[in-house]
Amino acid sequence: MDLTLLLQGILSGILASGLYALVSVGLALAIGVIGIVNFAHGEFFMVGAFLAYQLFISFGFDPVLSLFFVAPALFILGALIYRSSIQFVLKAPELNQMLLTFGIGIILQNLALVIWGGDPRSISNVPYRSIGYQVGGVSIGLVPLASFLISIFIVAGLYFVLLKTPLGRAMRAVAQNRTGASLVGLEVNRIYLLAFALSAALAGLGGVMIAVIQSPTPVVGFAFTLKAFAIVVLAGLGNIRGILGASLLVALAESLVATLVPDGDSLRNAVFFAIIFVVLIVRSRRQA
Amino acid sequence: MSLLKVSRLSKQFGGLNAVQNLSFSVEEGMIFAIIGPNGAGKTTTLNMLSGLLTPTSGTIALNGQDITQLTAAARCHLGLGRAFQVVQPFPEMTVEENVMVGALFGARQSKQLALNQTHAVLEQTGLLRLKDTSADDLTLLQEKRLEIARALATHPSLLLLDEVMAGLRPKEAQEAVELIKTVNTSGVTIIFIEHVMPVVRDLADQVLVMDYGTPIAEGSYHEVTQNPQVIQAYLGTDEDAA
Amino acid sequence: MKLRMNLVLLALAAVLLFFLPDLLKLFFDKASVSYLSLLINATSLAILALSWDILARTGQLSLAHAAFFGAGAYSTAILVKQTDVSLWLGLPLAALSAVLLALLLGSVTLQLRGIYFAIATLSFAEVLKAVIQKLPSSLAGGAAGINVEPLFRPQFIAGEMERWEIAFLRNESYFLLYAGLLLATIVLSLLIESSSLSYAFSAIRTNEEVAAVMGVKAARFKLLAFVLSSMPVGILGAIQAHRIGSVSPDETFNVGTTVLALVTPIFGGLYTSLGPILGALGLASIEEFLRRTFSEGYLIGYGIVLVLSILFMPKGIMGLLRSLRKAQRESL
Repeated sequence: MDLTLLLQGILSGILASGLYALVSVGLALAIGVIGIVNFAHGEFFMVGAFLAYQLFISFGFDPVLSLFFVAPALFILGALIYRSSIQFVLKAPELNQMLLTFGIGIILQNLALVIWGGDPRSISNVPYRSIGYQVGGVSIGLVPLASFLISIFIVAGLYFVLLKTPLGRAMRAVAQNRTGASLVGLEVNRIYLLAFALSAALAGLGGVMIAVIQSPTPVVGFAFTLKAFAIVVLAGLGNIRGILGASLLVALAESLVATLVPDGDSLRNAVFFAIIFVVLIVRSRRQA
Repeated sequence: MSLLKVSRLSKQFGGLNAVQNLSFSVEEGMIFAIIGPNGAGKTTTLNMLSGLLTPTSGTIALNGQDITQLTAAARCHLGLGRAFQVVQPFPEMTVEENVMVGALFGARQSKQLALNQTHAVLEQTGLLRLKDTSADDLTLLQEKRLEIARALATHPSLLLLDEVMAGLRPKEAQEAVELIKTVNTSGVTIIFIEHVMPVVRDLADQVLVMDYGTPIAEGSYHEVTQNPQVIQAYLGTDEDAA
Repeated sequence: MKLRMNLVLLALAAVLLFFLPDLLKLFFDKASVSYLSLLINATSLAILALSWDILARTGQLSLAHAAFFGAGAYSTAILVKQTDVSLWLGLPLAALSAVLLALLLGSVTLQLRGIYFAIATLSFAEVLKAVIQKLPSSLAGGAAGINVEPLFRPQFIAGEMERWEIAFLRNESYFLLYAGLLLATIVLSLLIESSSLSYAFSAIRTNEEVAAVMGVKAARFKLLAFVLSSMPVGILGAIQAHRIGSVSPDETFNVGTTVLALVTPIFGGLYTSLGPILGALGLASIEEFLRRTFSEGYLIGYGIVLVLSILFMPKGIMGLLRSLRKAQRESL
């Protein structure tokens, strides 16, 4: 086997895992803290991507600058959606939550289709998009590297918030104790609101980066919803820390197959879901 | 031959020994109590008996047949009934439908026979007039009765009761005691877990005391309550108290 | 008793459905073609939704129904392409392949619950899609797929019939076939509802451990539900393949099929025979209405309908009907 190719595969996998982790950790927050099965999560990601695209087209904003606009915008969008619908289905069956959030997803996706059309859009003409480095035959693009670092930085920031701040402690308390013995109802609702808004903002940040890395269309969201769900389930529901490992596992596998197997690029999805399937089945057998 | 024979049963959760080296046997027709402080491993034992947990080691024999590896459903078919500590009726079904599940699949009979038997069991447990009530709308005492009714409908020769008195008022507990006695006289052997000592005194022919997963005493109610080790387990040692 | 009454009602419905195309033609003339298309959509949605609901009654929330649909469609397509046997043989073959797939998937996912089960079944369907795409292209046509012959070729004499009349004949034949499959699925669902299976299914759905302790062999019933649920969907896939005229991995294994399979029964009312059918009629009509009214972006309205339906009728159309009936009884 070609060693350089192997190293290239591993490196691309690691770099891709950052974005997966960023998008999934938001969903894990929604599921873990609020207990809401959010099938619109990928649409926040899509909206983030297209907001960044629009900011670039209209005002020439650099995507890095856009991060600072998209995050609050998605935070507000998340808060609005929580207030107008999510808060009414907190205790409803999982299937109801699925249908509701699925409906929200359809609305967001089709609004985007009306506004931006169905063609792929990309922030392509930023000067650094073509910059890459060669290290011993392995090439590293600046954009994937930066997106990895930014993602990891944000995820680490979230972990810090959860572990070290009063808000994070409150979120973990609410997550562990839904009856909220020590918290009054109003406060719980406020924490849910913050968690949901934060979850949307995290997905939106991921979207900004995908708009530079790939050329997304408005229908990209649902695929990311499914992938984020798969990663969250792989990590184990409520296990926010496990997200990094789960993202790394699937991203590495995808990337290795794409680089090492002939015509492997078309197998990315299959590998991703095959791993999820096998891990879920094996784990359930071992527990029984 | 004993109806139930448990030999050197152990269960570990990770590094924790929930139940260790437990052996006892229950004779047919008996009312057998398992008591002990919280965390003594009583419910774990019951879960292993009914097939919801697989033991780490040891064997369980019912009527001389080794059932250690059987599923919960298969054990039910061999005559093992179970009522849960936290009552878990099927909330979307009526009282009658709840009991029907046991009569149909536990006792394995045709729909018409199952319906007849369901009505008999509901009569016996005093729930007949509530048969069309949704299980969601019952009081705690009624729920406990339903829990027992469902187990009876599976036609058990051995019935496992997990703290059915918990949460009941003294008068209600007395009613439940009477119910258990009637069930026993109708030919059902009973193993029950209980915290309320007067209930144990009134009902049990034989008492097994557990502490930290191990059996510490077995005998009549009078014998075990005189046992110094049992008294210590219940009152705690001086170090614990300090 | 109740079952017998339902079957009588169903027989009446069957007679009505049989004459429905001609009635439509009588009243609406040319427009009847598009009404028939709408009915075909609603019927196929109802088959999908009711089948999904049968499995959901055991608490298993499948996201793999696109796989059963696809298995049925592809097995028919391959059979028709590779052999000269009667086209109709494809339908039982489709049922068989969906059932085999259900047995395979059902037996490995027995220990999984809730969202874990859902994601595992989704992953299975996605992997199967990729496998089909990677099969030798001489067999399954790769990413491009295979063309499938139509089941019906309307007999007509050139020049004597208008185009819409030919389209009508074609739609009519397919509609009757879909309606037949729907009726069969309803009978299946009613039989389950009135038999002891319904007790086992709901017991497993509400609490599998308690059900097991009460003697319900959960694994057996869960597998049975899988098989019964997959069969109509497999046949549906086969019929659809004939009607559309082709199969391809992306179209035939579309995750949208899976999504509709679960959205429709929730909208109509879960764990009933009538709910998924009302849901299908409702959603298909609403979608058609929105499409005609708004054209571009009409799906925004569809999304709004879904959101509002959960907020204002959390138990679906059936729940709404039940509370209306209750209110009526109390006001008397």
